Amino acid sequence: MTAVTDKIAISGIGCVGAFGCGTQDYVAALKRGYVDALPQEKNHPDGTSFLPALLADTAHLTDYVPRRALRRIDHYARMALLGGYLALADVGLSSDQCEKLGVIVASGYGALTTTFNFLDSVLDDGDSCTSPTSFSNSVHNVAAAYLSMQLQAFGPSLTVSQFELSVCSALHTAVCWLEQGRVDKVLIGGVDEYNPVVNDYCRQRFSDHDVSIGNIDPFNFNSCSTIAGEGAAFLLLTKGDKWCGGESEQACHAPYAYVGALSSGNFSRLDCKDYSPQVGQRGSDLMIIGADGQCDSGNLYSQLQFDRPTLSCSPCYGALPVGQAFDLVAAALMLREQSMFAVNRYQTGTNGNNVNFVPKIDTITSLKIAPTGQFGQIELCAGVDRDA
Amino acid sequence: MTLNEKIKHILIEDLNLEDITVEEIGDEEPLFGDGLGLDSLDAVEMAVIVQKHFGVEIKDMEEGRPALQSVQSLADFITDKQGK
Repeated sequence: MTAVTDKIAISGIGCVGAFGCGTQDYVAALKRGYVDALPQEKNHPDGTSFLPALLADTAHLTDYVPRRALRRIDHYARMALLGGYLALADVGLSSDQCEKLGVIVASGYGALTTTFNFLDSVLDDGDSCTSPTSFSNSVHNVAAAYLSMQLQAFGPSLTVSQFELSVCSALHTAVCWLEQGRVDKVLIGGVDEYNPVVNDYCRQRFSDHDVSIGNIDPFNFNSCSTIAGEGAAFLLLTKGDKWCGGESEQACHAPYAYVGALSSGNFSRLDCKDYSPQVGQRGSDLMIIGADGQCDSGNLYSQLQFDRPTLSCSPCYGALPVGQAFDLVAAALMLREQSMFAVNRYQTGTNGNNVNFVPKIDTITSLKIAPTGQFGQIELCAGVDRDA
Repeated sequence: MTLNEKIKHILIEDLNLEDITVEEIGDEEPLFGDGLGLDSLDAVEMAVIVQKHFGVEIKDMEEGRPALQSVQSLADFITDKQGK
């Protein structure tokens, strides 16, 4: 792993998904272990059928943005806006304090539904009758643009799409911006939306399991149990020990955690499989893997050594390319609480490690492996002085 | 359904005016500015809407400006163009 030399703090968190809206809802879901999927209608040549999915509700966005101002903003961008606003609200930051804020949105699919609607309209009505708003909303960077405009953020605004590695790649860039001093803070998040066409395609292409399945079974690596999810998870990154600002100048926020190290590459690299202290950096206390019931990546996850307590949070947010953003949120929350509250854990059997108890959580590693064999790994450290 | 009502329905649906009903849009109410509160992006969208739903093309600003003043002016424009 490449260590992050400066102290890059996770000062604020915002998330929305099938679990609800905000960190409290997410923590409750993690403690329960799953969120019930809802059947979504899909049009099939043989008639209407249903597929389960884990969907997000953005109704709370009107707490931050007037309803009229949202009328051109689609569901994908609304999820991003809500996640971003929640992260800023977490530290009491208002939109007039975002001048040197950078925005990075990671997304595997982008605005899927609007893109499909736009393409359908071109096919159905011709290019002269396609909606200009649909076109502008179909481009990949629309969510980052809306965030920057709504927050009046004058820092750089970027969208990163590297499928499962989008979040890790975006975090790399965010850390660079902060280390270079280009911005005071970075709002970085992962956003992906559910789409029935893609869900149906993925089912047929990658999975053959019964669609009536209840929940994702992340540690059953030999069985496909994936359920499509959607949502947004955002982190407000700042530099230094603590960040003072927000609505009250006196209010200083101790960070949830620090970004300790980052790496990405091919899974065949030994230091990805073996987390023992002799190989990589010091071993993390806890590992969160992005296993989400997909067979291809499940086969790769099964090759890990599992020499420390290992969790999965995917049953709470579903399968989506930017699931690692939700894993980072979970890691940051667990580091602050010093509690391993997510209940989906790898069971090592009677001779294995004690997976239910960690006396002190100093570091958590988030590992996402793509079915193609690439991985992105991020280590977060507890929000205390790492040099102490 | 009258042409005016159809235009109002289409405006609400295609411009996502979720906070207003057909009954609340007056026939002579200005569509832009202080009236319905539409903006220049909506004007571009409305040119497409009129062509798509009514088969009538708004060729330029000279033609569009008077036509897009209100629901009534738009209905008159469409009726006039369709009659030709």
